Amino acid sequence: MIRRPIPRWLAIALGVGGVVLLLTAYSILSARQTRKNENQRVIPGWQTFKEGAARLVRPQGSAEDPQPSMLATDLKATYWRLFLGFFTGVALSIVMGIAMGAYRFIEALLAPVMSFLAKIPPTAMLPIYFVLVGTDQKMFTAMVALGVFFNMAQSIYQAIAGEVKTVSIDKAYTLGASDPEIIYEVIWKQILPSVLDNLRLQIGPAMIFLLAAEMLVGGEGMGFRIRMESRVLNMSVVYIYLTILGLTGLMADYGLLWLRRWLCPWCVR
Amino acid sequence: MKILGWTCTLMFLLSVGCSGDKPTTAGKTGGPAPKFTLAWSEYPSWSVFGVADELGLLNKDAGKQGELEKKWNVDVVLKGVDYDTCIQLYGTGEADAVCITNMDVLGSATSRNSVAIFPTSTSVGGDACVTVGIDNLEALKGKKTYGLAKSVSQYAFERILTARNLNPKEFPFESMDPQAAATALQTGNDSIKSIMVWNPFVMDTLKKVQGSKRLFDSSEIPEEIIDMVVIGKDSLGKDGSKRFAQCLMETFYTINKRMENPETRDATLVALGAKFSNLQLEEMKQVVTQTKFYTTPAEGLALYKSDKFKNTTMPAVVKFCVENQIVEGKATVGFDKADSQLNFDTGLLQGLIDGVESK
Repeated sequence: MIRRPIPRWLAIALGVGGVVLLLTAYSILSARQTRKNENQRVIPGWQTFKEGAARLVRPQGSAEDPQPSMLATDLKATYWRLFLGFFTGVALSIVMGIAMGAYRFIEALLAPVMSFLAKIPPTAMLPIYFVLVGTDQKMFTAMVALGVFFNMAQSIYQAIAGEVKTVSIDKAYTLGASDPEIIYEVIWKQILPSVLDNLRLQIGPAMIFLLAAEMLVGGEGMGFRIRMESRVLNMSVVYIYLTILGLTGLMADYGLLWLRRWLCPWCVR
Repeated sequence: MKILGWTCTLMFLLSVGCSGDKPTTAGKTGGPAPKFTLAWSEYPSWSVFGVADELGLLNKDAGKQGELEKKWNVDVVLKGVDYDTCIQLYGTGEADAVCITNMDVLGSATSRNSVAIFPTSTSVGGDACVTVGIDNLEALKGKKTYGLAKSVSQYAFERILTARNLNPKEFPFESMDPQAAATALQTGNDSIKSIMVWNPFVMDTLKKVQGSKRLFDSSEIPEEIIDMVVIGKDSLGKDGSKRFAQCLMETFYTINKRMENPETRDATLVALGAKFSNLQLEEMKQVVTQTKFYTTPAEGLALYKSDKFKNTTMPAVVKFCVENQIVEGKATVGFDKADSQLNFDTGLLQGLIDGVESK
């Protein structure tokens, strides 16, 4: 029957089953490719993954000049860039989105421009970033931040237009609230669940922008490594990175869901 | 410009038609033509295959044959894609043959045994370090040079410094996509003043950036960076594979003859330029001096038989690849040794010279 609830144990078992199915399908595909060419590294077997993983965690550099492993270097670089860019973008977009949602003249001035810029992938404007912020950390931060900013600001401002009723604002004014009070008590508290939902939607694009930039610029980071290793078909390394990226997305998704439940227990969707 | 290009192509086509030395249909073994795929990317000596398709020597589509395909009774499928994609198509077995450098092929050869059947060109200036405001190597010390890591760019950069008795460790090399690096240098940003890239980016940058300078280039290491055509050993085991190899060779040398012939030279260069970053005639004339073609089978054979290439260059390239973790463990390289992972095979080139037509 459509939408009939299933018991919790079954839901968990089916979830695990899905993962097993995925792994089995991969094993079959890998075995088939290996039959064609026993040295193949395109769809590597589990043994090859072990070797790839070992290579990833092996410390680099020489005895006199030890360096952290490739994995440590790349994760540190990528997550720091992602974190910095994402939070800069989100913080700015919250300010801008609320300003646009609250004041008509800001809305009129910025809404068309924002909607235009939101459609342009930042990676396509690489030369502009080079001119403005150079080629190092600042460029990655700016690229992720702006990639998130335009979309996020737009959806926050639309959330305010759609969810915050004028009558609530009028009521607050009647009770003697100031502008800052209305923005915090009426607008912000009402749109918080939408903001958190939108954050979840922005994690994917943010990672895509960052990885695309890393593939072009810089000598470390997950995007760089994925490009370098897939050039020489070391797919075991590439797939490990893709798995890490997938898990990152999954964890961030669940983390934000949990955050929403915790911050806005009143909001049930 | 487009019209000029088409006019030239048309003239070229006419001249091919009139030249009278069309390959004779040698009446090869009957039956359906076996299908083989070549992956090529835009590069002076590889765009030759794209031009051959335009001229009707080859037909890039499956199930259709050009002049030379008919002669050798094979169906050559041409896949003109990005260089990295070429490497992947070849590595996955989707392409039987690939246009690749003698360095990048080592990575592929460790997962798919490969046979280098003939060299197409060598870089003598086509890879260069271009700087702005840095006039000598002393000034470059300690400043970052941007270029694609683990590629011929980094190889040439370190090799030339070593050849000049300098320590590459004192010259930091930072990875950046060559096109992005060329763009970054053009924007005049302070953080980037030196790039190591390949053509067309070298020429493009020198032309567009005022005060830019060719600090050094691959002309100091001639016949070390080799562009070539490689076939998977598994594909060479298939029926008709030798005819496929011979067809590719004849195609390559036919276009080379057109480039030598004063009557067809310019038109051929224009056609190649259209498939190499849309360069015009004058630029293409310069390109072919920096990317020296192996215009005859004898020239190609001379490279494969040269002691320097065998005993110095290839071991140095392998060493570089191992040190930079481009290949795990050593890829075995052999000359006319069938069991090595990468085998430089002189048999087909010799056969072409001797005029022996293998079955």
